[in-house]
Amino acid sequence: MKIKKLFSRGSEKYKEGDFRGLLVYPSTSDVILAEKTLKGEGYKVRVVGPPPHLRTGCDLVIEFPLIEQLGIERILKEKGRIPLKVIPISDEILEPIDLCQKKDFGDYLMIRAANMKLVIDKRTEQIVNISGGGCPDVPYLAEMLIGKNLRETHSPKDLGQTICAYALHIAYEEMLKEVD
Amino acid sequence: MKGEIKMAEKVDARGLSCPQPVINAHKKMREMESGTFEVLVDTTTSRDNVTRMATREGWNVEVRDEGEDILLVLRK
Repeated sequence: MKIKKLFSRGSEKYKEGDFRGLLVYPSTSDVILAEKTLKGEGYKVRVVGPPPHLRTGCDLVIEFPLIEQLGIERILKEKGRIPLKVIPISDEILEPIDLCQKKDFGDYLMIRAANMKLVIDKRTEQIVNISGGGCPDVPYLAEMLIGKNLRETHSPKDLGQTICAYALHIAYEEMLKEVD
Repeated sequence: MKGEIKMAEKVDARGLSCPQPVINAHKKMREMESGTFEVLVDTTTSRDNVTRMATREGWNVEVRDEGEDILLVLRK
């Protein structure tokens, strides 16, 4: 099971019936900082799209293994990154939305993460298109990344500042996994 | 034949959603390597995306308005 593998931490493995929860923040930058904090502490969390009725203006939430809730909340409190809400996923209606979608165009591969699309030429692994968003740094990101080899460029997260840069970073990480 | 006017090849990317216009233009660039061809698009997003990619690949892009469509002439 992919989710169990994703949330395994050290020797702790998710068992059938284990639950996940969502950390809801008021802004994307809060989500990014909390994710960085938790990953830095070794927690296997991931950023996902919230179920529609949980949207608070921020299009991202953090999914975490519920069994780790106490430790996660303690770390977040210590680091001053307390979420607006901590919600257990107890119902299908609360299932988060996977941010990434893949589309194969033959010689080209597109990964879409949230509102951002990244396309490479599979034969050369060169980035041929970046689109989507609407954030002010998207033209800059496109200028910096298009024409570059996927493995020889900076991550979009290092180049941009917005939710679009972050979504593109997720697409970029996923693309690296695809070409490996 | 001497004096014959050769029509530039054209990629019609109208009605295609992103990233298909860029992919079609990129395929043609790869196939031709150099020369002149045209890409017909119908959105400013496609215009910008194709122009950005082609410029990065060293092609010169001329943009012409053609009614509701936009013609991009790519030369290298």
